[in-house]
Amino acid sequence: MAEEHSHKAAPMVDEVSDYEVLETAVRELAIEKGLFSAEDHRRFAEYAHSLGPLPAARLVAKAWKDPEFKKLALEDGIKASLEVGVDWINDAPTGFGTPSDYTDLRVLEDTPQVKHVVVCTLCSCYPRPILGHSPEWYRTPNYRRRLVRWPRQVLSEFGLQLPADMDIRVEDSNQKCRFLVLPMQPEGTEDWSEEELAQIVTRDCMIGVALPHPDRKADDPRPVHPAVHPVEHHDH
Amino acid sequence: MSMHHVEKITGVGDPQCFEGEAGKPRFKEGDRVRIKDRPDIFYTRCQMFTRGAIGEVAVVTHESVPPEDEAWENEQAPAEWFYIVRFRMQDLWGDYPSTYPNDTLQTEFSERWLEPA
Repeated sequence: MAEEHSHKAAPMVDEVSDYEVLETAVRELAIEKGLFSAEDHRRFAEYAHSLGPLPAARLVAKAWKDPEFKKLALEDGIKASLEVGVDWINDAPTGFGTPSDYTDLRVLEDTPQVKHVVVCTLCSCYPRPILGHSPEWYRTPNYRRRLVRWPRQVLSEFGLQLPADMDIRVEDSNQKCRFLVLPMQPEGTEDWSEEELAQIVTRDCMIGVALPHPDRKADDPRPVHPAVHPVEHHDH
Repeated sequence: MSMHHVEKITGVGDPQCFEGEAGKPRFKEGDRVRIKDRPDIFYTRCQMFTRGAIGEVAVVTHESVPPEDEAWENEQAPAEWFYIVRFRMQDLWGDYPSTYPNDTLQTEFSERWLEPA
């Protein structure tokens, strides 16, 4: 029987991982113990799900347009975040930020000589209040282990081939600082408005695995290509 | 995270709440430092790949209770200065290609992990 049906995929939708069970158990215990209420939990989850990369894109665009603001961003990322509407300390319902996003943002400025890229080798540290949730690949052992060891190879897998005379600087985010890459402003965008500039600063540009491009915007339509080898034998 | 810690950081931020608690930083930007290979029990944020390596202090960041204490809610432990240290890739990985001698990696340590080099 087993052999006969071996072509069938394992069920995916209904599986609950051990970690999900653990999270539910710990959350319910904490609520019963009175550490926080179910309402607190809901409010926090809603805050967390409201986060995204747009404020960080605005911060970068503003820094490109305004040298004074860029100076502030490089000196004090938390204060600069206020100017794009993000209060790291008071926005979260906790009143002190999120329990795992400490409130020390460092902006890493790319130069013609040095390209920055961010990783957290320990787990998943990421500037969530201003950049939203990290992409799945950022948290994989594959990225975390290999970026610190073979950064040029990993960047080329992202489609970013750096010239040999440009230096890479990998920033391992392993303590309380959080990091945001300020990429170079691409040529040909000098007379763009801040709003237009913000549209080409994608999440990946601010992690450091991509470069902003004048003809590639975060909300460009994604073309749908027909499959090269369409699936023929599936049972629905 | 204890209620005491929550009170301390609310409206202030963490690590801002530790400002002024660690005295004078022992190292400054540009200092050459070696990462100690100290024993750690159950929890540390000092990666094995940096142990024994020599780098340069890039940024003196902030004061905070080190994670080795914080992980056990030992929040009464004294705060320490933290430093972002810059290493040459070639000093971390013996076989890093010599084509890229200026590639670097930066990561952060509390003061207990550093000694002058």
